[in-house]
Amino acid sequence: MTHLADTPIIRVENAAKAYSGRLAIAPLSFTVAEGEKVAVLGPSGSGKTTLLHLTAGIIHPDSGTVELGGHATSELGAGEESASLVGAIHQQYDLVGHLSVVHNVLAGRLGRWGLLRSLWSLLSPQDLGLAEDALERVGLLERLYERTSRLSGGEQQRVAIARLLVQDPRVIVADEPVASLDPARARDLLILLSSVASDAGKTLVASLHSTELATEFFDRAIGLRDGLVVFDLPVMELDRGILDDLYHLEVAG
Amino acid sequence: MRAVPRAPRIEGRGLLTLLLIGAVGLSALSVPWGGDLVHPGGGSAVGSIVKALARVELSPEFLRITAYAAWTTLRFAVAGVTLALAIGLPLGVVASGVLTRSGGRKTASIVVARFVLALLRSIHELVWAWLFVVAIGLSPMAVILALALPYAGILGRVFADALIDVPEEPLRALRSAGASEIKLLVYGRLTIALPDMLGYGFYRFECAIRSAAIFSFVGVQGLGYQIQLSLDDLLWNEVWTLLIALAALVLLVDAWSSQVRRRLVS
Repeated sequence: MTHLADTPIIRVENAAKAYSGRLAIAPLSFTVAEGEKVAVLGPSGSGKTTLLHLTAGIIHPDSGTVELGGHATSELGAGEESASLVGAIHQQYDLVGHLSVVHNVLAGRLGRWGLLRSLWSLLSPQDLGLAEDALERVGLLERLYERTSRLSGGEQQRVAIARLLVQDPRVIVADEPVASLDPARARDLLILLSSVASDAGKTLVASLHSTELATEFFDRAIGLRDGLVVFDLPVMELDRGILDDLYHLEVAG
Repeated sequence: MRAVPRAPRIEGRGLLTLLLIGAVGLSALSVPWGGDLVHPGGGSAVGSIVKALARVELSPEFLRITAYAAWTTLRFAVAGVTLALAIGLPLGVVASGVLTRSGGRKTASIVVARFVLALLRSIHELVWAWLFVVAIGLSPMAVILALALPYAGILGRVFADALIDVPEEPLRALRSAGASEIKLLVYGRLTIALPDMLGYGFYRFECAIRSAAIFSFVGVQGLGYQIQLSLDDLLWNEVWTLLIALAALVLLVDAWSSQVRRRLVS
């Protein structure tokens, strides 16, 4: 993997996050280099979603810092500044079902457009060429003007990727992007997501349930358990023992 | 030792239900169930009302009167609801607090907007009508304002809740794409809440037809006024014609509403 810069694009330092007194993320630290693809693994409730939301700047740590491109996420302004740094995709329900596909894709421009242009776009889509290119890339060009809620779950995920293409952030954070898809579609989606990231030298951080998909599409895996980093390894070094340790259930005594 | 779940007991709410049912039962004892309970001439009056249904007034002249009265009532309702939407929607947006992030200004704007909405709808449209007729005289404007103000209060309150209850996931995604709160309102909240808001708006339009008809009590033209004239002469066959016209208007709005909503949802 080529590291485009010496300074990491993501730097998490002693970041911790608690929900109603319970630590979701214990103080933990790691860095991600620009262009790297990192899978976050771990059992349900291990804090994967919290960690990804921290990384995407959707939430901020109670203590410690999360930096993107050298800026603390807590100090990033909403709008263009953060939208050009980081974009997010979730397992589902990420799109506005009543809007047509083109508007969901062009929502990736909302950070760059002014208010009037954003409103006008609902009547006369702006930067239409961008939306067409993005949808062609994800194979949904012919669904441009369809109501988004009519698309299948997998197709909606691809619309969300098209929106990311239009948004064009340096970091893509994907929270369980394939959790609701069958194995074949899950693979297709990860092929698309990782090629989108590779082509433009984007950094990709995704949480996954499948270790096989992690080894196939990612450079590095971070294992999370009870809000703590259990391992942080290149995917080639993952083995049965390490993964069993990560997923084994505590049997109450 | 094993933890055995305890058998459920009568809880506070269940007890309250029992008490209320008991109170209703007891109050029936205080009703004098004798012959005075129903007005003695009532039976024959009901009979003549029902019989009039068989000979509904359908003369061309009266149908013309009915149609014109229905048209008048419909115009009041349309104007009243349109104005109510124009007042209620912005107030509802402010009352929902979705445009401001947090802090004192957010709380203050929510409290003020909610108070204005409550004030508007806590006064019945008939009382508003009476106030406006006193203030600006018996003009169409008085009727339209009397309809619009309480309806704005109701619509604004319901719209505010609809805008708050939008699912968080699409909003979060739009936010991370860089949308400001006002872009979020248009692309996310209003778009997602629109079918519900439209449905409720149409339902309020039906209510406005009913209310506009009732305004004959303050002396305004329309279906209600004609019903009152016919009632004064005990012409039940005419009353039926007018009532059927009123129901037809409401049904018309109902059909329109479901057609619009179907197109929006499918």
